[in-house]
Amino acid sequence: MSDKTVEVFSTDFWQAFAPELVLVFGLVLIFIIPNLGNSKFRIPLTKVKVPWFLGGRRFKLTGSPAIPGMLATATLFTALGMMVIETIDGNSSATTVTSGDVVLLQIDNFSRLFEIIFLAAVLLASMASLDRVPANTFAGKKSLNEMYDNRRQADFYILMLTTALGMCTVALAQDLFVLFVGLELASLATYVLVGFHKESKAGAESGVKYFIVGSVASGIGLYGLSLLYLEFGSLQLATLSANWENGSILGTIALGLVLVGFGFKVSAAPFHFAAPDAYAGANSPVAGVLATASKAMGMIGLVRVLLVVALPGSESDESAVWLYTLATLSVVTMTWGNLAALGSKNPKRMLAYSSVAHAGYMMAALTAVGAWKWGEVDAPAEYAEAIVAAVLFHLFVLVAFKLGAFLVLALLEMEGGASRLSALSGLAKRDPLIGTAMFIFMLALAGVPPLAGFMSKFLVVAGIVSASIGELSTNGSVSFSELHWIWWLALAMFINSAISVFYYLRIGVVMFLDVPEEGRRKPLPYGASIRMAIWICLVATIILGLSGDTLIDMCYRAAESLNLG
Amino acid sequence: MLVGGLLVVVAGLMAFFPSMDDSSSTDWISIPLVGFPIVVSCILLAFASQESRARKEILATPIRLFTLCASLIPLAISTALFFDWLILVDWDLMYNEYALEKEYIWIETIGVSWHVGMDGLSFPMVWLTTFLVPVTIIMTWEEKDGATYHPLLLMMGGALIGVFVALDLFLFYVFWELTLIPMFFLILKWGGKDRRYAAQKFFIYTFCASVIMLLGLITLYFLQPESSGSGYGTVTGRTFDMTVLFSNANAMNMGDNVFLGKEMQYILFAMLMIGFLVKLPAVPFHTWLPDAHVQAPTGGSMLLAGVMLKMGAYGMLRIPIAIFPDALIFYQDIIMIIGLVSLVWGAVVCLGQTNLKRMVAYSSVSHMGVILLGIASMQPIGYAAALFMMFAHGIISPMLFAVCGAFKHHYHSMEIGAMRGMAKWSPFLAVYMMFAWMASLGLPLLAGFVAELMVMIAFWPEYGWWILLPGFVLAITAAYYLWSMQRTIFEGGDEGQPPESLNGETPPDITLPENIGMIILALFTVIFGIFPFIALGMMDDWTVALFEGVFNRGGI
Repeated sequence: MSDKTVEVFSTDFWQAFAPELVLVFGLVLIFIIPNLGNSKFRIPLTKVKVPWFLGGRRFKLTGSPAIPGMLATATLFTALGMMVIETIDGNSSATTVTSGDVVLLQIDNFSRLFEIIFLAAVLLASMASLDRVPANTFAGKKSLNEMYDNRRQADFYILMLTTALGMCTVALAQDLFVLFVGLELASLATYVLVGFHKESKAGAESGVKYFIVGSVASGIGLYGLSLLYLEFGSLQLATLSANWENGSILGTIALGLVLVGFGFKVSAAPFHFAAPDAYAGANSPVAGVLATASKAMGMIGLVRVLLVVALPGSESDESAVWLYTLATLSVVTMTWGNLAALGSKNPKRMLAYSSVAHAGYMMAALTAVGAWKWGEVDAPAEYAEAIVAAVLFHLFVLVAFKLGAFLVLALLEMEGGASRLSALSGLAKRDPLIGTAMFIFMLALAGVPPLAGFMSKFLVVAGIVSASIGELSTNGSVSFSELHWIWWLALAMFINSAISVFYYLRIGVVMFLDVPEEGRRKPLPYGASIRMAIWICLVATIILGLSGDTLIDMCYRAAESLNLG
Repeated sequence: MLVGGLLVVVAGLMAFFPSMDDSSSTDWISIPLVGFPIVVSCILLAFASQESRARKEILATPIRLFTLCASLIPLAISTALFFDWLILVDWDLMYNEYALEKEYIWIETIGVSWHVGMDGLSFPMVWLTTFLVPVTIIMTWEEKDGATYHPLLLMMGGALIGVFVALDLFLFYVFWELTLIPMFFLILKWGGKDRRYAAQKFFIYTFCASVIMLLGLITLYFLQPESSGSGYGTVTGRTFDMTVLFSNANAMNMGDNVFLGKEMQYILFAMLMIGFLVKLPAVPFHTWLPDAHVQAPTGGSMLLAGVMLKMGAYGMLRIPIAIFPDALIFYQDIIMIIGLVSLVWGAVVCLGQTNLKRMVAYSSVSHMGVILLGIASMQPIGYAAALFMMFAHGIISPMLFAVCGAFKHHYHSMEIGAMRGMAKWSPFLAVYMMFAWMASLGLPLLAGFVAELMVMIAFWPEYGWWILLPGFVLAITAAYYLWSMQRTIFEGGDEGQPPESLNGETPPDITLPENIGMIILALFTVIFGIFPFIALGMMDDWTVALFEGVFNRGGI
């Protein structure tokens, strides 16, 4: 691995960050193009008018409400394509960006994989919004055209791209402060996106709630970061990792506070309360982004802080600081999420709680890494890498089936609301293929083979079990008590995924058995681009389950580039 | 959209067979027996779902015919493989040797391969499945919405064959769960009044049990010694390949040496057995079965009882017994007790049933107990008996459910009391019912008798006078079958009143497709009752190989 170090704003810097620059460029275009009109600028004190083009009556082309969405989709598609081409065969060198002695960003397989996750999620969501699909629900007194004139469309897609950009920064950050800036950039954009339908009560309420809870969590996290700085004198990941000591009280407190901040982002219990409200109030594509990309962003934070910073050196065999905390949190999160989802009648809230449960599964996996690292399990670094790779795989395939499920709900929102289970009733009869797609997404969420959801859950559990067993298998006979206690996390996870089948199946039953409710007897609205997005999700769900080898390899390479060993 | 569906299917198929080109000899399992039915049914379902209701009615008959022809292809192939018409297959196998074995790498990083093959344990079940699917399609020819119903049956058959031919734990689990999906829809869309509850209960029960089994499999996977080579994962250094796993475990289970140690064997054995016992089902895990059966449509019941229950017994004989023989000896008495309780409980509950289908469902529980007794006996003849029981029950129980289905179809009721004097109204149905009931209660010269007799023979040397208990239960079995027969076929026929549930119509006799299906099933019940060695020879070979390979070492 030949590492490269570049200075900020040098030529190499621009080359390395070409995909992100495409995002910025697209953002600028969306700022400008919808505003192009016939306005003229009068030179002061004269009567000479110079064509100025910004403002005034919009041209026919630039005034079209479809323009911002198309621009955003094209931008995201280009950036994503560049990243995939760069990463798919393995990025042999890591590029580090420094400003003086300070390491700011690093492009490696890990960050690139996460950027692909983010851009894929945002791309699918913006594709799904191209038809101005979710507008009907919240239109209220305003007409559809008023709701979604091109300015408002531009706002929406600007926020989408900003979210993507902020998330990419989080993935690249090598300094907790930079990470925090990226996190806030993405968060602020999502707060507005959640409350984007300000005309409706639910939209406004959920936006405000998400904003308040989110900023409190961010504040707590930021306070934790400041304590870390106080203790170690730096927020550089490398410095923190080298100086980390388990005994440090201030460090432990700081870690707890940071955990709250990121715990909110991954919607871990007990910081998940805003999530169901936010998902229910936001329109479905946005909720899908929250449930996939935003969760992945929080997971980066957890990985960086817990696995990179707060682990002692490999020769250390001290006991855990966060091991028990995270284990407890993960079990509470998955159980709480599943039990709450059992009782919720709103499909969006149900999906929200199911994403809480999924956060619990991933935290259980991270716990297993902790057990490995603290010297309680005798195993080489590949075990930890396998677990991280499993988490990455899970985050990746979540984009396929969780977002896919939200997009199906978005299609239903086109004809008014998807906030009751009965909205789904008879879907399989009205539109067999969409109904089947939704059912496959549900099966994937439940972890039924051979879909991607099974593969990811399987890898996560295999990672946990492998860490609990470690190198025990080399001697012939093993006693059960020799297994590390994290083995029970795997059991908890499987019991939980068995519980989750209840509510995933319920959706299938409603779709295939019930009679469509009043006003929903007609065929579904067409919406070419949203259907296209759903098809992409469906194909990915099936293909990644059947042959995930390429992706698994990518995830392993990404985990290796974390340098846990 | 149809094109999209086809693309998904084709892409999935391509993903399954990455290295098909370099297979030297023809693969008679992967595509013809497993891939073909699943893919054909997926295409038919995608095609039919796009049509309007009226078009579906028109299309139903061509699709039915097409499905029937498609399901005859696997049957032809499996029969030909048995009689060596296509190629010479050597069925005289040592333990852990498989005929027609094929292996393609699937997920290299964790050591998963598409590894299929058949031996004396799996081939009878494969043949049974290929045989039952066309029979079921014929029998339920007039089922409503046939354009989607019959393809689902075909898909079910493909998935079931996949379970029996899989020689890779991962692949096994994939097919194990895949069978749930078509059955879930069969119950959900064509079931009775409480189908919603029954379908969900069925899915959840078996899914919960199988995730515990999966955890056991994963733990076993990581406990096996690390190595590298073909079949081993490039990252994990372990393999899911059953053949490798069996031979490793076998090599370590020598003398006093125990693979993984006794304690670990006990725990893993129990975890795997939970999955299999729920599927079987054995008391106390059986409660999903009566609900599922009563609500399921006839075709679903036939495949559920005929083949799906056998998945549990098959899994037991295939995986845990081969890897953890010491645990089997440890749990021997417990398995015997579970089997005995299932046998007794199933039979006693049958006595109290008024619903004909529920009674038949409980009789399945009772018969599955016989399989457990055969396994617990630890005698070669007991194992051969268990295998033959799986096979014989796989032919007889579909006939029982077919009779129940015909009742439902013609008398619109499943209550035993509602159809008195059937011999007068429906003589053919009465004859078939009598035949099926007799076969199930173990009349000599019919297939069920052979298995029960062999179990009794194996039971005696191990448990002595306890044999009176299963013997007594066989008497109860005779009692509930004869009693229900007496109440339906004969009693009350003289009064000349048709059953109330028909509202004064004249009760019809069964239709031609039902007749054909029943005759086929009855014929094979007789064939395998008189010439059991057709199937038993292969099973016997397998049993002998198992005992030589697994149990035959110092100390046992």
